[in-house]
Amino acid sequence: MIFPHAPILAIVIPLFAAFLIPIISIIAKRFGAERMRGGWSPPWGINLSINGLNLLIALIIASIGSLVAIYSVVSMERDNGLDKYYTLLLLVIVGCMGVALTGDIFNLYVFFEIMSISAYALVAFRRNWGSIEAGIKYLIIGSLGTAFILLGIALAYGLVGSLNIADLTGKITEIGATQPLPVIIPLMLTLFIAGFGIKIAMVPMHAWLPDAYQAAPSAISALLAGATTAIGLYAMLRISYMLFGAVAIGTMFIILGLITMVAGGLMALVQQDLKRLLAYSGISQMGYVLLGVGFATAAGIQGGLFHLLNNAIYKVLLFMCAGAIIYRVGTSNMDKLGGLGKNMPITATLFIIGGLAISGVPPFNGFASKWMIYVAGIEAGQAITYASTAIAVIMSALTLAYFLKAINLIFLGQRPMHLREVKEAPPLMLFPMLILAVLCVVLGILPGLGIDLVQPAQSALGVI
Amino acid sequence: MEFGPGIWGPIAATVLMLLGAIIGYLVLIISRRYIVPKPSSEKLKTYACGEELKPEEAHFDSEHFYSAVRRVFKPFYKYVQPKHSGILSTYLLWVVIGFFIVLIAVTLSLR
Repeated sequence: MIFPHAPILAIVIPLFAAFLIPIISIIAKRFGAERMRGGWSPPWGINLSINGLNLLIALIIASIGSLVAIYSVVSMERDNGLDKYYTLLLLVIVGCMGVALTGDIFNLYVFFEIMSISAYALVAFRRNWGSIEAGIKYLIIGSLGTAFILLGIALAYGLVGSLNIADLTGKITEIGATQPLPVIIPLMLTLFIAGFGIKIAMVPMHAWLPDAYQAAPSAISALLAGATTAIGLYAMLRISYMLFGAVAIGTMFIILGLITMVAGGLMALVQQDLKRLLAYSGISQMGYVLLGVGFATAAGIQGGLFHLLNNAIYKVLLFMCAGAIIYRVGTSNMDKLGGLGKNMPITATLFIIGGLAISGVPPFNGFASKWMIYVAGIEAGQAITYASTAIAVIMSALTLAYFLKAINLIFLGQRPMHLREVKEAPPLMLFPMLILAVLCVVLGILPGLGIDLVQPAQSALGVI
Repeated sequence: MEFGPGIWGPIAATVLMLLGAIIGYLVLIISRRYIVPKPSSEKLKTYACGEELKPEEAHFDSEHFYSAVRRVFKPFYKYVQPKHSGILSTYLLWVVIGFFIVLIAVTLSLR
């Protein structure tokens, strides 16, 4: 059984080895080592750029990538073509890491494409009618998004003649100080926000996501929900805030965040399929992140980034629970499930933890980050921030409502006859889910751990 | 975590919640000892408009959840939900509309 899954070693070993990088960095700093290929220094040469923000994102991707690889061993054991599957999984992780760590905007685009194209193929991996259709939709809409990004980069290069993000920031800030503002700048910013907005499924550019998440293997749904949306949001924040400043476009993010939160939540409420419900709830949670960062205060951005971290944890957990149910029962249609709490008590407990965490119920991690966003909204002291905080609280109650519905339909109530013999998920599937559930509890009870992680990220965005 | 004059202490709150759960569980156990339910066989039957159903066949359909919320947001469910049709050209139209919404918002923000 292990041999077909041997490629996961290619994922797990380097990702765990990544934890050695701080030691290497200390040694390199002590000996003054610097690696420069071809003798080109920035802004002409392509460089990696590490700060608090992309370290946070890289940590999310490395952790989720490792857990998804372990989860895939059992969840994908009934599939063929696992060599292709693991290759594509690796490429998604490579693309995400590249987007997170590069200091060059064109390289960011290249890595974004590597991540996206691999993700399209993984969505269509099962090669049935539904997955191919969802994969093609994702490909066409995703390609439109990456075309927007490429056009934005071309405009930026045409305007200032540089592709280095730090250099671009300085030059565009200089141009931004002149009046009147060149017409090309709003267009450039729109292209970036729309391009990355498609990747994070910002309403109304979200429609591809439920189809893709439903059709993809559950491990891939988890990876996309946790890693690629985090990357999309990271890239959107990095480009828009670093190049154009937070205060100017904060209100826009608040409005887009509210629309995304409400539309995603209302759509989740009426879903019959568990994976579609999770997909729409993921859209709704991205609305919270946009809202937090849109407040453009230190507390708001910390809250938003903390919610991004938490969302990656419980969303991956919930998709893994959905995958465990599909693995044992063969369907994620909630109307065909019921009473599974007796057969799958561990999965049920983990799902309930994830559901309560995403709904913002204390003492789980979702509460801590939502609380920070609410506090930031009230402290911002404007009519729009008060109103948006009130709507966010109401939407949190709605989130609890649709997760209680899911818990009731799947794990409680009468168990249909055909589910009597269903067994608990295999230990290797439960192991990554357990780790994520423990994180939901730990980051809720000790939110300081999460806040310590996001504080350097907020500082890196340059918002005080 | 502080909030104006208020404060949220996650550890204290968790301990209190656990204590509350334990007390609630104890009350449940004690009450079961003193009040033993004795439902009649008629009471245990599933009511389905006179139709005889086995308990295993009775399942609450997801359609029936939160119908009141659906009524409140009727315009959303009438006009927006049907647009999630799975038709690619509709989705692309949404992207184009989204692009122009962002363009207007950015132009107003940077003005």
